[in-house]
Amino acid sequence: MIWVFTLLIMGAGLIALYSASYHNVRVSNEVFYDQQMFAVVGILIIYLLSRVDYRFFFDAAYIFYGLNVILLVLVLVAGRHALGATRWFTFAGISFQPSEPAKLALILVLARYFAGRRPSVSLNDKDFHGGLWQDLMVPLLITGVPMLLIFKQPDLGTSLLFFGICFIMLFTSGLEYKYLLGLSACCLTALPFAWHILKDYQKDRLLVFLNPNIDPMGAGYTIIQSKIAIGSGRFFGKGWLGGTQNQLNFLPERHTDFIFSVIGEEWGLLGTLAVVSFYFVLIYCGLKIAEQVKDKFGMQLAIGIVGILTLQATINIGMVLGLCPVVGLTLPLMSYGRSSFMIFVIMIGLLLSLSKRRTIF
Amino acid sequence: MRLKIVRIITVFLFIVLALDLIYIQAFQGRKYFGLSVNNRIRVIPLEGQRGRIFDRNGEVLVENRLSFNVTVIPQDVRNQEALFSFLSQVLNVDQKRLVARFQQKRHTPFAPVAVVEDIDQRTAMILEENKFRFPGLYIQENFRRWYPQGEVGAHVLGYVGKIDSAKVEKLKDYGYSQQSIVGYSGIEEYYDQYLKGVEGGVQIEVNSRGQQVRLLGIREPERGEDLQLTIDSRIQKAAYDALAGSHGVIVVMDLDSGEILGLVSSPGFDPNIFSDEKRGREKGALILDSAAPLLNRAIKGQYPPGSVFKTVMAVAGLSTGKITTKTSFHCPGFYQLGRRRFRCTHVHYDQNIVQGLGHSCNVFFYNTGVLLGPDNIHRYAQMFGFGEKTQIDLPAEEVGQVPSRALRKKNNSDWYKGDTLNFSIGQGDILVTPIQVVRLMATLARSGQVPQPHLLKTIGDQPFVKLSAVKALKVDAAVFDIVHKGMRMAIADEHGTARLLDMKGFEIYGKTGTAQTVPTKDTHAWFAGYNLSGSKRVAFCVFLEYGGSSYYAVRVAQTFLKTLREQNIL
Repeated sequence: MIWVFTLLIMGAGLIALYSASYHNVRVSNEVFYDQQMFAVVGILIIYLLSRVDYRFFFDAAYIFYGLNVILLVLVLVAGRHALGATRWFTFAGISFQPSEPAKLALILVLARYFAGRRPSVSLNDKDFHGGLWQDLMVPLLITGVPMLLIFKQPDLGTSLLFFGICFIMLFTSGLEYKYLLGLSACCLTALPFAWHILKDYQKDRLLVFLNPNIDPMGAGYTIIQSKIAIGSGRFFGKGWLGGTQNQLNFLPERHTDFIFSVIGEEWGLLGTLAVVSFYFVLIYCGLKIAEQVKDKFGMQLAIGIVGILTLQATINIGMVLGLCPVVGLTLPLMSYGRSSFMIFVIMIGLLLSLSKRRTIF
Repeated sequence: MRLKIVRIITVFLFIVLALDLIYIQAFQGRKYFGLSVNNRIRVIPLEGQRGRIFDRNGEVLVENRLSFNVTVIPQDVRNQEALFSFLSQVLNVDQKRLVARFQQKRHTPFAPVAVVEDIDQRTAMILEENKFRFPGLYIQENFRRWYPQGEVGAHVLGYVGKIDSAKVEKLKDYGYSQQSIVGYSGIEEYYDQYLKGVEGGVQIEVNSRGQQVRLLGIREPERGEDLQLTIDSRIQKAAYDALAGSHGVIVVMDLDSGEILGLVSSPGFDPNIFSDEKRGREKGALILDSAAPLLNRAIKGQYPPGSVFKTVMAVAGLSTGKITTKTSFHCPGFYQLGRRRFRCTHVHYDQNIVQGLGHSCNVFFYNTGVLLGPDNIHRYAQMFGFGEKTQIDLPAEEVGQVPSRALRKKNNSDWYKGDTLNFSIGQGDILVTPIQVVRLMATLARSGQVPQPHLLKTIGDQPFVKLSAVKALKVDAAVFDIVHKGMRMAIADEHGTARLLDMKGFEIYGKTGTAQTVPTKDTHAWFAGYNLSGSKRVAFCVFLEYGGSSYYAVRVAQTFLKTLREQNIL
C-alpha cells in the first residue's frame, strides 16, 4: 500500500513539475529530468531500506544528530547565500541543505531518547516516574538546538516544523497532560515576544495571510495568484501544460513551494482531491504501522515520520490555498528539491522497514 | 489512547483541506475561472533599463533606444487571416513569411510571439491605433542598446547579448535568469552588475477583445546604474582616426590619477551589430575575420616590447650600481658572442646611458645586460609590473610573460648568454601588453610612483576610487632623473629615434621600439612615452602590430598628438 501511494505521489509530482518547468523563465526543464532521476534512485533506496533493520538507525541516532548539528553550524558560517538565506552547501557541484537531514536526525534522536526513558508502548507502566526535566526539558533542548540554528538561516517554516514534530512526539511519548498544557500555555504567552524577533518580511507574510488584499502587488500577490490558479481549475482542470496562471510566469516558486497550485489549475478538483487522498492514505498507513509496532523506538520513529509528512503536506497545501501563512515548506516528494526528496525517500524506506518487523527485539 | 487522538486529528486536518478545496474549486470555481479566461489576465513584462555610460565630459557613449516589437498572443487571435493580411500590408513583409514565423515561434497559448522586431515609431503608432480591430495584436516596447559612436569605443565599452548557459550557472543566484541580457567584453561585462536593470511587469485584466479592463498589479522595473568613464571621447576619436584601421593600439592615461583618457584597439567593430536583429549575420563575419577585430589588443595582445624595455634596463643598471652616468660602452655596430654577432641598428661609437637610451643603442644594453645578469633583469621587470595584470577594469586581461632561469629549468631547458642579450633589448621570450607599457611610462614619469589604470569615474552619483596594492618602487629618484634625460633625448636630440615628436607646445619624453617577430613577418612598431606640457600630463603608447619600424609608430603618434593640439584638448 505504501509503495503504491508513494509512487502515485512521485508520479503526480513529476507530471506537475514538467508543466511547471515547461515555460519557465527562472528554471529550465533540467529540474524535471533531475527530479526524475532522483525518483529512480529514490525508489531503489526505498527498496533497499525496507530490507534493512531499522534498529541500525537506533544505533546511529546520536552520532547522526551530532554530525547534523555541526553541519547546521557550518552552513551558517560557510554556506552558500541565496534568496536571502544561507541554507545550502555546495560541494563539488552538488548542493544540499542540511536542514533536511536534520529532520530525520531529530526524530531518530527523540525516538531513541523516549524509548530509553519509557520503553513501554502502552503507557500502562506503573513503575514509571516522570520528571519535568527528563521528559520535557531535555527533549525541548534536543529540539531547540537545531531549531535555533535553522531559525538563524533564516528559515522560519522549517524551524517551526521542528517544534511541531517535537510536540507531537512528546504527546505520543506519554508526557503527562499537565506538562503538555503547560507547554502550550507557555507558547501562547510567548507569541507577542516572538513577534518582535521576526524579520520584517516574515511579519509581512503573517499580516498578509490574514488579509491578502493588504498587499495585492507584493506578498499578497502570491496567495491571490495561487487561489486563482487553483480555483480556475474547477472540476477537471485545464489540462496538462494548459494552465494559464502557470504559464504566465508570475506564480513564483511554482516548481517548489507552489507545485500544488499547478495541479489545482491543470487537473482541477479531481486532481487535487486525488493528491490529497494519496497523502492521506500514505499517512494513514503510517499511523497504522505506528499502532502496530511493538517497540517504543519503532513507534516513535513511525510517528515522527508520519508527523513530518502530515505537517509538511497539510501546511504546504494550506499555504497554497490561503489557509496558512506562507512559510516556505515544500510538498514532500512533489516539490522540486534534491535534499528534501532524498530525506523523504529515506523516511518512506524506514516506514516500510518498520512495517515488516512488528515484534519486540 | 494517544495514538488514536493523533489519528483523529490527522483525519480532521485532511477533511479541512478537502473541504476548502471543494469550496475553492467547485463553488468559487466559476469566479476564478472567469478571472483567468473570460476576463483574462495578461502579463506584460516591463524591461528595467540598463544603465547608460557617459564619458568624462558627459558625452553619451552608450544608451538605450526605445524599440518596438510586433507581438501576437495566439490565444487571443480571432481572425488570423485578417490580422496577418493587415500586418503584411503595413509592415511590407510577405504575409506567408509572417505566418510561418508565427507558427514556428509560438510556444504556449498565452506567450506573446514576436513576429517582427524593431519597427520604427511611426509604424508602431499605426499598428497601435488599429489594435482594436485585431484581437491578439500587441505592440511591445523594449530597449535596445545603442552605441552612438559605433566603432570608436568598441573595445572599451564591449557589447551586450543574451546570456549563455555557462554564465547562467554561475550567476543565477545574483538575479540572472535564462532570458537575461548581459554585457560581453569591455565595461559592459566588467560592470554588468551595476548596469543591469531589474525586470518588472504589469498584470492586467483584458476582455475578450484584448483591451485592458483593469490593472491588477504592477511590479516596477528598476533602472540600472549610469556609469561615467574616465574616457574623453575626443581623445578616443582622435586615436581611432590616427590608427586608421591598421592593426594596433593607442592608449592614453593621465599620469597622476591613472585615469584612462583613451584606449583604442584596431581593427575594431561596431557594437551595434549585437543589438540589432537585422545585422545578425555580421556577427559571424566578425568572429571569422582573421584580423581579429573582437580582440582587445591593448589588454590581451602580448608582444615583445623591443627597445622600449631598455628603460627598465636603465633603471636596473643604475639602481644596482652596475652602471653609472660615467659608464661608457663602445658600439661598433655589433656585439660579439662566441661565433655570433648580435647586431645594433647603427654604429654609435662611445655611448653613455643617456645616449644609449636616446639613440636606442643595442650594444650599450647588451653590455648592461651581461653585467646585470638575467636574474636582476627579471627582478626589475617584475618590479615594473610585467608578467602581472594591471588590474584595469576590463575583463580577460592578459599578463604577458617575463622569462627567467627558473622558468627555463622548469621546461627542462637551459639559459644561455644569448638569451640574456635578447632579454636586454626586449626580445626573446619576453611578452608585454600595451597597457603594461603605458603603466611603465607613467611610473617612470613619476619617478617610481605606480598609478592604477582605471576606466570608471563614477557610478550613479558616487565617485569611484580604486586602490592598488603597489604604491611606490624602492628606487632612488636620482636614477629616474637620468632615465628622464635619456627619454627626452630620444625626442630632442637630432639623432634621437623619435625626433619627429619634437613639436611646439609639447614636452615629450619617450622610447621607441622595433620588436622582431618571426622572419616571415614584419616587426612590431612601438612608441611609448609621456607628455609634461599642457593642461594634462599624460602617458601614452602607440603600438602597431607588424607595423614595421618604430618610425611608423612615431608617425602615428605625431598625427595623433597634432590633432589633440589642434582641437585644444591637450
